[in-house]
Amino acid sequence: MQTDWNALPDEEFRAIFREWVDANCPAELRFMRKQRPTYEEVKDWYQALSKKGWLSPVWPVEYGGMGLNPAKHMIYVEEWARLGCPRIPDHGIGLTGPLLIQYGTEEQKAEFLPKILSGEHLWCQGYSEPNAGSDLASLRTSAVLEDGHFVVNGQKIWTTLAHCANWIFVLVRTDKEAKPQRGISVLLVDMTLPGVTVRPIANLRGEKDFCEVFFDNVKVPAHRLVGEVNQGWTLAKSVLGHERIFLGAPTRPEYALGRLEKLANARGAFEDPAFLSRYAKLRLDLYDLGSSFERFAKILRSGGELGSDVSMLKIVNTELYQRITEEMLMLAGEESRYNDDLETENGDVDAMNLFLDSRAPAIFGGSNEIQRNILAKAVLGLPG
Amino acid sequence: MPQLVMDDEDGELAMLRDSVAAFAESNPGPKTVRALRGNGRDMDTAQWAEMAEAGWLGLMLPEELGGAGLGIRHQAIISEALGRALIPSPMAKASVLSSLLLAAAPDSAERVRLAEGLIAGSAIVVPAIEANGHLVRLNGRREGNMIRIDGHIEFVEAAHSATDFVVLAEIDGKTLALSIPANAAGLSRADKEGVEGTPLSILVLEDCRVAPEKCLIENVEAKTVEKAIDLARLAASAELSGNASRAFDMAREYTINRVQFGKPIASFQVIQHRLVDLWTEAEMAASAVVNAIEFLEGDDEKAARLAVLAAKARASDAASLIARRAIHLYGAMGFTDESDIGLYLKRAINLGGMLGQAEQLRRQFVIEERAA
Repeated sequence: MQTDWNALPDEEFRAIFREWVDANCPAELRFMRKQRPTYEEVKDWYQALSKKGWLSPVWPVEYGGMGLNPAKHMIYVEEWARLGCPRIPDHGIGLTGPLLIQYGTEEQKAEFLPKILSGEHLWCQGYSEPNAGSDLASLRTSAVLEDGHFVVNGQKIWTTLAHCANWIFVLVRTDKEAKPQRGISVLLVDMTLPGVTVRPIANLRGEKDFCEVFFDNVKVPAHRLVGEVNQGWTLAKSVLGHERIFLGAPTRPEYALGRLEKLANARGAFEDPAFLSRYAKLRLDLYDLGSSFERFAKILRSGGELGSDVSMLKIVNTELYQRITEEMLMLAGEESRYNDDLETENGDVDAMNLFLDSRAPAIFGGSNEIQRNILAKAVLGLPG
Repeated sequence: MPQLVMDDEDGELAMLRDSVAAFAESNPGPKTVRALRGNGRDMDTAQWAEMAEAGWLGLMLPEELGGAGLGIRHQAIISEALGRALIPSPMAKASVLSSLLLAAAPDSAERVRLAEGLIAGSAIVVPAIEANGHLVRLNGRREGNMIRIDGHIEFVEAAHSATDFVVLAEIDGKTLALSIPANAAGLSRADKEGVEGTPLSILVLEDCRVAPEKCLIENVEAKTVEKAIDLARLAASAELSGNASRAFDMAREYTINRVQFGKPIASFQVIQHRLVDLWTEAEMAASAVVNAIEFLEGDDEKAARLAVLAAKARASDAASLIARRAIHLYGAMGFTDESDIGLYLKRAINLGGMLGQAEQLRRQFVIEERAA
């Protein structure tokens, strides 16, 4: 009999979850420097979660998930971060799964969901294209139905972990005449099919965690369409529900500020009133971000739904992360020229690593300018 | 419209909010500000009496002193609404701070007299115990059973209308909290014009003689006074949060109505993004105030203290930033005296400078947090 986690008091659930995770997440995977480890690197942890039935916090119990409500899900995410567990390849759990659960056929759910949980299918998300980034609806990768197959041609880019994935869900254009948003569909594509080519792209940190994916006359069986044809835009937009709050969770700036404090202690920077003043501003911005995050978390805990206003957290969070890492380089002085971690008596500080990493979150998941556009229209009701 | 979001099961907070809004209908804040400024008046005592009648004064006094026994969240809702409507009053000091000082005092006839007067609006009790966010202790000495005080204290608001001041005096290494009637011999006042056009005074005490029964607290601990000041800071933060929220709304409305190049200027992306950033600041200020209220209602004194410092810093900066940017978005109109937006900026500066400026409070936060 599966436990009804939602029926447990929050603190009891937290204690149970924390105890097991702490005992089972391998020590060498904690607080990894890498934001996006591959499946091979975290396989044991993925499998341990899978066997325990805790791999997928939000999916309904009938599909093998924990069925957590948003309040319990927040505890899951908090404890995960607190214990420094590595991010697992989670596109299948976080995106494909919810998409299929909401819009997939019974056959699709039966075929794909168990294989996500077992780790047999590793998913990636084929959204952005070279000429369709912020303006995603202008995407041009085409899919033409011929003899029971969609023939897919085009290119995706910035596809995270595509080189480690074997399945991709792709936004494709199925109607070139309609308004851009009305001619898009979602296809599930086996990446081992002929005509699929993946080329990793090195990022600013020298890591290869995103890729280009090319489709050259790839024949995708028609039953791999999710939902109705030409309704893909609606599907794509609705995948993230309460999970949007996690884009605003202050985890990264919190970690970075801890590093900054460590470096500052080691360098005696708190004696410098100018530094103290700048540090205080960053510290309080982080503290206040926590208060704002809490406002939205409270809505979820009381069973409410998030509005578009939650986007503000993503902006504040990612811009603060950047400012903290910029301060770190300033404090480093000439050592800012090092690619290596900075040595201190209390351990190394990965200043350059964080500084470079902090460039990304303000861009991905809808750039901060796109977030501002959304807030301007949906929350402030501005004209135009 | 960003605002303090708190549980309000019985609708009490909404009622308070509505009652201030109704008050503002008949006493528009900008009108009062304009009427007061420049002519030496320090506050609108008739409105203060109305506030007393509405039950807003001495709200946090304990019930044994005739207070409503209401908490900081009720006070915050009133202060926020006053800030939104730009209603000028010495609420944070002459109601919140004086109430908390009286609450901390042991039972005495003077304490009861001041509390009753404060609630009724007949006594205007102005604490003059700090400047620049730091406690100011005047020099005291005993002479027979009288206490004689010397010294001065700056930045005292409502010093003309005050009926009584509360000051701190140091005698033999102990700090006393004393009540001094405004007409006491040896007490004088020098005025400077404040940013809003009402005077801020320097109280000068020269051989000012205080009778022993005017002593409210014999040996007051700094911690007790700091706690009272923190609650006043929270009230000022709520007022600033209301100010920020309304100034944002005004900027939004103005840019929606202002047409240039054949379009509302709020349809331009550059304006939209600026408005989003201002809205974000106002939201963060409101959340910071709510966070502090929740800690103040809890048991962790240190956490509450830090949360108050953060709230005051955030709300001060938000209010000032939003009003400054709003003036810019108004264009030349924003630079006129006729436009109310400038009054919001001046209030933001006035309250922002009171009880410790943002930069100072942020540094204090870090120093206290790191001292743990």
